[in-house]
Amino acid sequence: MKYLKTIGFNSNQPIGRGFNYPYDIAFSNDGRIFVLNRMGGLNPSGIRIQICTFDEDWLGEFSTGPGTGDDQFKVPVCMAFDNQDFLYVTDESLNEVKVFDNQGNFVKKWGTAIEGFGCLKGPAGIAHGDDWAVYVVEQYANRIHKLTRDGESVLSWGEEGTGEGQFDMPWGITLDSQGHVYVADWRNDRIQKFTSNGEFIAAFGKSGDGVGQFNRPSSVAVDGKGFIYVADWGNERVQVLTPDGSFHQMLHGEATLSKWAQEWLEVNQDELQARNNSDLLTKDLPAHLRTPFHAASQTEPVFWGPVSVKLDSQDRLYVTEHSRHRIQIYEQSRSLSTQDIL
Amino acid sequence: MMSSDERNLIAHLARRAGFGATSNELDRYQDIGYEALVEEFLNPVDSQHIPDDLIFRRHVDLHAMQGHNAAYWAYRLISTQAPLEEKIALLWHGVFATGENKLNNLGSLTNQIGTFRTHGLGRFDILLTELSKDPAMAIWLDNHTNHKNSINENYGREILELFSMGVGNYSEDDVKECSRAFTGWTVKNGEYMAMMAQKDSIWPYGRIFWHHEFRSDDHDGSHKSFLGESGPLGGDDMVKIICRQTATAQFVSRHLYNFFVADEVPVPQWGDTPARDSAAIQALADAYVKSGHDIRSVLRVLFNSDFFKKAQFDKVKSPVEMVVGTLRKTGEYSVPDGGDKGIFDVMEEAGFMGQKLLDPPSVEGWHTGVEWITSGFLVDRVNFASEHIGNISNPGVKGMTLRVKSDSDKSSDPGDLVDACLNVLGPLDVSDDARTLLIEIATAGLESASSKSDESDSDTDQLILDLFKIIVSSREYQLC
Repeated sequence: MKYLKTIGFNSNQPIGRGFNYPYDIAFSNDGRIFVLNRMGGLNPSGIRIQICTFDEDWLGEFSTGPGTGDDQFKVPVCMAFDNQDFLYVTDESLNEVKVFDNQGNFVKKWGTAIEGFGCLKGPAGIAHGDDWAVYVVEQYANRIHKLTRDGESVLSWGEEGTGEGQFDMPWGITLDSQGHVYVADWRNDRIQKFTSNGEFIAAFGKSGDGVGQFNRPSSVAVDGKGFIYVADWGNERVQVLTPDGSFHQMLHGEATLSKWAQEWLEVNQDELQARNNSDLLTKDLPAHLRTPFHAASQTEPVFWGPVSVKLDSQDRLYVTEHSRHRIQIYEQSRSLSTQDIL
Repeated sequence: MMSSDERNLIAHLARRAGFGATSNELDRYQDIGYEALVEEFLNPVDSQHIPDDLIFRRHVDLHAMQGHNAAYWAYRLISTQAPLEEKIALLWHGVFATGENKLNNLGSLTNQIGTFRTHGLGRFDILLTELSKDPAMAIWLDNHTNHKNSINENYGREILELFSMGVGNYSEDDVKECSRAFTGWTVKNGEYMAMMAQKDSIWPYGRIFWHHEFRSDDHDGSHKSFLGESGPLGGDDMVKIICRQTATAQFVSRHLYNFFVADEVPVPQWGDTPARDSAAIQALADAYVKSGHDIRSVLRVLFNSDFFKKAQFDKVKSPVEMVVGTLRKTGEYSVPDGGDKGIFDVMEEAGFMGQKLLDPPSVEGWHTGVEWITSGFLVDRVNFASEHIGNISNPGVKGMTLRVKSDSDKSSDPGDLVDACLNVLGPLDVSDDARTLLIEIATAGLESASSKSDESDSDTDQLILDLFKIIVSSREYQLC
């Protein structure tokens, strides 16, 4: 992968362009980028979904402000469009999945009255299958729930544990072109791969900060050729794996100024000047600060809180960083095939 | 079987070296024994606090540390099994008081607390050196503007006046020489970082935490004379000289006494007001010198001393000690919950009581002791404690009621019930008036319950909760 550009910048305002703890993104059929603005703590007023383009045109927002109303969120986590261009968004506090059309109009919600299950237990990652199924990660139940688009249970699998098909607070989920399901098994520091019916296929990674090792992976994406992209959240990096799960490439982030950032600095010349006289790519941290978290927090271009990885229709990789309030985009450096690797 | 006096003494140690203890913790501490427990506190191995990954997943804003980081510290305060690590960080936070109101960079300030946690029990010269390198301190006291050809005396003065020796033990020339020695001790990208702090700027990509940078081209390495020593002294040399001073031994010892033993007058009055117990201060100062400035060694002397053991309930709990101690008993917030802002609110409560963590009122820190208690603050403290201790849905409170019922025979003497309640909340020894009131309430409650044909467990629970609420409203609960 090759770094392409950065979009977004920080804004702690409750409306308008700019992100505050962006947590996930999704692409509508026409290529617009929907950004989930999570906010946090004592300032939840800006919880909302913003819409922008690859060229950073800001198009608007919806579901503004926290609450329990039909189109509101309390602690939103992940989202994904289905093939009919409806956006499904999870909320781990309300235990609901809310569905919107591609204009941001509320359509329906479900999750609190699933026959045989009651409510979803901390819905996190969400993904759609070609078989009209919706796959929802229930982080507190340590299971994957396959449902219809109306929220009726089809099947579920998983329980707490470290064995095959067991989970410890799973988070992100995705499907590949063959319908296999990949789950970011967060506290087990691995990615698990299943059939669409929940049969275990493989597990990739183990705890650590070496290549092929993970520290709390939060999100996973698979491109058209089967390469696996993992948001290695606790290690503040993204790892690319080959289709068989072998290590392929490490991404640490190399953000440049986005269009919005440039526009802001142009009208704040004092900060721009001081910034231009600074070196924000720190490589000489004191010993006690040489951890991924400290390095990321003190070094602006690298990933800090890479919480979500998503691929667009051109297999460009979008890395959403909640603590740098931006999205770094990578493109395929060349046309990769499995033959290149094997 | 250990006597109640020994249990009281261990509870005293747990209040001072930590934030108090639950009955189950006291049981374990009893098995360990007092002197071994002192060593356990002094040499923590595994704090077992709520891990960062769980906190950050639930509270993403605590990951970026752009606001309300007292809540982040609170998770550690309420869950740690190494409470002295946190107490010593709290002490140095009050002594080397650095405030968010100027920095607008809670991440760097949180890193400073980590430095106190790491070095707070070690050698004072190492702690003071790390403090001098700390970027939050550099911005707080403007040492990033202390240049070779244009000194800023702010840090050079405060390291002597407020951080080590106290007024009257150095000259104005010493301040200037000390300041010259700390030229070039700055923050990476200092101009930009200070500008972002001053403008409270989060643009374009949020806060950037700070770290120390030594700029040799901006450092005055020429000859200096300082506290009777001379040479091409640098900041490291200044710290070593400072830590060798008798005044520093006395100053540090008085701080430790004030924080762990008994309330002293505020620091600005130390030059005019003799120490409350000069012999105790001298014993601690001797340990400081003998150990090579090792705080752990000084505290070992302190916690094993008679003057410490006799000082039970001689101190007013700080708001943070009161809030954290209460929450550790109630068992609240042991699991981070992003949908629940309560952890943020309770630390705001400590602020309403006069101690807003990470935001001390000035470089002097907080004035302690009876100055914690105003009529308004006292109402807040009592309301907070009774609200949380009086809620049986809190897991710790449920456990305490079970313990009381187990330890007392509710059909016999109301005094047994009162004593059981006092034991799980302390043990506490309340005034005669308070005890009389408690027994009256217990008597009435037990009589009412026994007169009912369908006496229920909830009646007993409610009576115990009523007694809890009165006990935590007592004077004694506000002391430690």
